[in-house]
Amino acid sequence: MVGSDQHRRDVLSRIRSATHGCTQELSQINSAYDALPRAYFRQSHLSNEMLCERMLERLREYDAKVVECAPTELPAAIAGQLLVSGKRTFVAPPGVPLEWMGSEFTWKVDNQLTTEEIEQADGALTGAFCGIADSGTIVLHHSETEGRRLISLLPDWHFCVLYASQLVEMLPEYFGRCNVPPGLATFISGPSATADIEMTRIKGVHGPRFLVVVLVRDV
Amino acid sequence: MSESVTERLSPKRSRLDPEFAPPFPEAALPILRDPQVRKNVAHATDVIQAKRGKLVIEKTDWRQLREAASAIRSHALENLGAYLEEFELRCTAAGGIVHWASDAGEARQIILELLRQENASSVIKIKTMTSAEIQLNSHLQAAGVEVFETDLAEIILQLGDEEPSHIVVPALHMNRSQVREIFSRRMGLEGLSDDPEALTAAARNYLRDKFLKIPTAIGGANFLIAESGSVVVVESEGNGRMCLTVPRTLITLAGIEKVLPRFRDLEVMLQVLARSATGERMNPYTSMWTGIKPDDGPQHFHVVLLDNGRSSILARKTERQTLKCIRCAACMNTCPVYRQTGGHAYGSVYPGPIGAILTPQLERMKHAQSLPFASSLCGACYEVCPVKINIPEVLIELRAQVVDGERHNLKRLLDPIYLGMKVASFVFQKAWRFRMAQLLGRKALRFFTRRDGWIHSLPSLGAKWTQTRDLRGFPDQTFRGWWAAERGSRNGRV
Repeated sequence: MVGSDQHRRDVLSRIRSATHGCTQELSQINSAYDALPRAYFRQSHLSNEMLCERMLERLREYDAKVVECAPTELPAAIAGQLLVSGKRTFVAPPGVPLEWMGSEFTWKVDNQLTTEEIEQADGALTGAFCGIADSGTIVLHHSETEGRRLISLLPDWHFCVLYASQLVEMLPEYFGRCNVPPGLATFISGPSATADIEMTRIKGVHGPRFLVVVLVRDV
Repeated sequence: MSESVTERLSPKRSRLDPEFAPPFPEAALPILRDPQVRKNVAHATDVIQAKRGKLVIEKTDWRQLREAASAIRSHALENLGAYLEEFELRCTAAGGIVHWASDAGEARQIILELLRQENASSVIKIKTMTSAEIQLNSHLQAAGVEVFETDLAEIILQLGDEEPSHIVVPALHMNRSQVREIFSRRMGLEGLSDDPEALTAAARNYLRDKFLKIPTAIGGANFLIAESGSVVVVESEGNGRMCLTVPRTLITLAGIEKVLPRFRDLEVMLQVLARSATGERMNPYTSMWTGIKPDDGPQHFHVVLLDNGRSSILARKTERQTLKCIRCAACMNTCPVYRQTGGHAYGSVYPGPIGAILTPQLERMKHAQSLPFASSLCGACYEVCPVKINIPEVLIELRAQVVDGERHNLKRLLDPIYLGMKVASFVFQKAWRFRMAQLLGRKALRFFTRRDGWIHSLPSLGAKWTQTRDLRGFPDQTFRGWWAAERGSRNGRV
């Protein structure tokens, strides 16, 4: 292994002596942590109807495409959007329900697809863990329905199915929905973008250039 | 360390190396005379400021979020040793390998050794200011490793042989036609238009196969989560996600101060960071990962924790708050000094108000001593800081240290400011000396006072004042003289 224990001891001992007087027992650290001020908003009062509206508005501001549907209409809504994209080949994680994958398209289900196979697909279809209306953010925890990270990254189109019941208003509420910290999480707020040249916002740098969200009104 | 990893060539020295950079006033002059750079900087900072302003007003709990962000960062620093050990434990348990580096040289050695083990002849990089701080790129290149920056601004700088002038938008001092020139020259694209959309597409094409073919990536961290051993990277373009996902090996270089106690603390940090940095409710992509996940992402993961002077900042009561910084750059966007000079004048990869306090401290007060004075102390930086770093307070503390350090330096006897202060101290000690000085001053300055009552130019040292502004000539009479003449005074002396 590179580096030595000596480096570690040196750095840690400098830190310990620098924070001398505040280095405490674990229980003391925990109670100091619990006493930190958290007076910001943590609980929404919006109805689900309003959450949906806010989410749609924010996503549209990011130039994402959004459509709404009832739970029973979902397969048709997905197929409709895939069709509109004019693309043919799509990747899906293994946990995506079969009825989401319309037979008129070519599907590659990710059972250990190679990077090249994913890269060559036109688009990807995934579920999501949560939607945060305040910032139009979709959170993926990369479960069986949300797929490996590569899937929602390499193809140019990302079709994401989000349920109204997965919506929260603000970021702290998302954290309230995580019982334990996820190992992997990706927060997506619109298609990839840059403003590095004269602060002009340009959509689509390296991530998917097109984000399509199908919002299922299940509440 | 084996001999084979030592550098073969001597690395190219950065123009932003604080050890060799000229003092701020000297470095600022050519930039102040460059209208193009000033226009570019003013435009970019205006745009970000306006967007940030709108979103902060919209966020009605902004004050409470700031309060919480500040408290969380302070708490993490107060217990830094415990939280770093917790991070190391969790990260290691998840399959990551944690390395510790006391200074820039150790960090570079560790990274070079890891690259040697990987047989890596090239790397892709996510933008990280910490790697610029340790001048990693030039050392990697000297050791024969080809480096590909992947952030759009970093590509512009790398291909154009330019230096960063901002910590969030590093190429903000350049405009579209300058970028077009660099891209068409270095990517061999004749007829490339200067439309930002076309330039961005050129960068996408330039990098696409590098993402897919180069199996080693180096990046930084916005946050380290002690509770879970996770690392968080906040970005916009997706180049970060590419580097974090596609390669076989990932090396993360992070300052020791980046740690947050728990996953939940992100609910505060992510809310304040994007709004402060780019004026967005949320940046397009935030990625979090924990060690290694089989079949998903890099299967070799290293974290290099860098001290490089941070522990000595931690030890000082007033200065410790410098380490709360989450690198949003709101302070530079609002700073009346930065907005005129841009970033290069600071002679450091960390410019602006935060750079003015961070750089000299990272240099252990040996270099960059002009930076604490590169401020009007107006306090705008403190007002916008999402983690409430009282930058003016630290600036004043550092100024005191610089002056104290000079107290025993013999060269001070040649310093006009020092001598001026000595003379002033002597003069102010006795009222008669002061009156005498006033009298002499009035007589001497009369030679330079024009008919309009103003002094337009003074010789030698006085010219430092009159080069940029006029000085009102002394009146014929002092106020005290006038008072005595007008009202007289029998017992009160004047």
